[in-house]
Amino acid sequence: MIRREVAIVGIGQTAYAKALPGTAWELAIEAILAALGDAGIDPEDVDGMCRFAPPFETVSEPQLVRALGIRELTFFAESPLGGEALGAVVAHAAAAVKAGLARTVVVYRALSQSKGGRFGRADGRGPGGGGQSVPDPSAHVFVPEEDNRSFAWPYGLMSPGQLFALWARRYAIVHGLTDEDLTHALGAIAISQRQYANGNPNAMMRDRKMDAEDYRNARMISEPLRLFDLCLENDGACAYVVTSADIARTLRDDPVYLLSATQTISPYREPMGIYVAGELLELFPAATAARLFADAGVSRKEIDVAEFYDATSYMPLRSLESYGFVPDGQAWRYVTETGTGPDSPLPVNTHGGHLSEAYLHGMNGVLEAVRQLRGTAANQVADAETALVGAPAGSAMILAR
Amino acid sequence: MAIIPATTDLTRPYWENARDGRLVTQRCNDCRQIWHPPLPACPHCHSTDIGWHQVSGTGTVYTYTVVRHATHAALADHIPYVIAIVELTEGPRIVAGITGCEPADVRAGMEVQVRFESVTDEVALPYFEPAQAS
Repeated sequence: MIRREVAIVGIGQTAYAKALPGTAWELAIEAILAALGDAGIDPEDVDGMCRFAPPFETVSEPQLVRALGIRELTFFAESPLGGEALGAVVAHAAAAVKAGLARTVVVYRALSQSKGGRFGRADGRGPGGGGQSVPDPSAHVFVPEEDNRSFAWPYGLMSPGQLFALWARRYAIVHGLTDEDLTHALGAIAISQRQYANGNPNAMMRDRKMDAEDYRNARMISEPLRLFDLCLENDGACAYVVTSADIARTLRDDPVYLLSATQTISPYREPMGIYVAGELLELFPAATAARLFADAGVSRKEIDVAEFYDATSYMPLRSLESYGFVPDGQAWRYVTETGTGPDSPLPVNTHGGHLSEAYLHGMNGVLEAVRQLRGTAANQVADAETALVGAPAGSAMILAR
Repeated sequence: MAIIPATTDLTRPYWENARDGRLVTQRCNDCRQIWHPPLPACPHCHSTDIGWHQVSGTGTVYTYTVVRHATHAALADHIPYVIAIVELTEGPRIVAGITGCEPADVRAGMEVQVRFESVTDEVALPYFEPAQAS
């Protein structure tokens, strides 16, 4: 059990923008130094590092150790599968601290989509393509030999946005929604998050207002998902520092404690959840959600704010159900009638999320949760004591002050 | 120009059958269950005695999306196109394109049947089209 034995003592980030001058390495260092500065920890005292695995993370540990002047990195770990690593990296950091393998663990995510390829592209302008090459349109494309992509890519199913379009459509089918119902529900999420972003100085969409008409008039990308149902593509980095609760209390009087963290692999990946054994809509396994809350020792009602991973607007919608806040099949009504705004029972993605703050594989949601629990968020939820940060596929954490 | 699947020892029979106009799935020779896509062992009884089974090629649309934005240069001339997950009559689900009707006419639950589209001399892809009324 992790409950309250480790804490987040520092957070740091870069600016978020479509393109920043630095490489992912430079962005990572900027965010990590900011987090260590926030914690009051000398970078050379860092002895642990937990992060996302390549190909998502492009900077090597030796590059980071040298740049930070770390004396001895005694624990380092990487978690695969993109956003599904979000709960894993903090679980690994907490386990390392609790087991005495490290005292001060840096967790970070650095992303340079302008230089390293955009996640919305599957060709040379996509991840791993170097962002440079524009392929010869007359040449055959050979599918990489991993994760059953050969059973999806030849049909043009090549991006997460298309996958979530299939999920969102399935949700409408199962629960009997019309196209209008679905548009209304997804739009409610996108507009709510945009309004949060309008109040967040760090958000890329800070100055861009969006109403229902703007939302509906945006071009269709992969039906039923329109442009503003999809996350931003950007550069930036986020970092936080994990240490024991005892050390945390010597560093600051407002540490944010980790109550629980989960990771799972359910048999519904390869690639990204298409070949599910049961219903396609199982975004987050119910058993894992039960474990997340039981380990934390809190109920759903005690969660004051939730930061849900939102590669698309569909994910917060379904997350409300998957995490047990709203019964299955009712979130589409909930988001339009009750909503997820500042005065709702459960404010969601109070920084603007991936849709309107920036896309950092869920890490910016962790930073937002920490700010909410410290009472320093731009869109502060009054008296926030407990926060859930949730990604898909069983990857999540509950934090508390 | 086409998007060519990678073939491994495990998946080669699937693609060779597709090239010859047959839709197949793996089938466990011990417990007789079928599944898709291919696996090194039966996920039900863990047998490694696995064969191939020709399925009817009929099914229904489980979910679908009409793609209107090309995520790959190779697809720029193909939009709009339909990606569907088809639930085969025998149970397993398969990702495929839907052809033979307008994208706007694809519906959930629509009955479809397989048809093969050659993309090179060596490779054919199973697509689905609306089932003919019998």
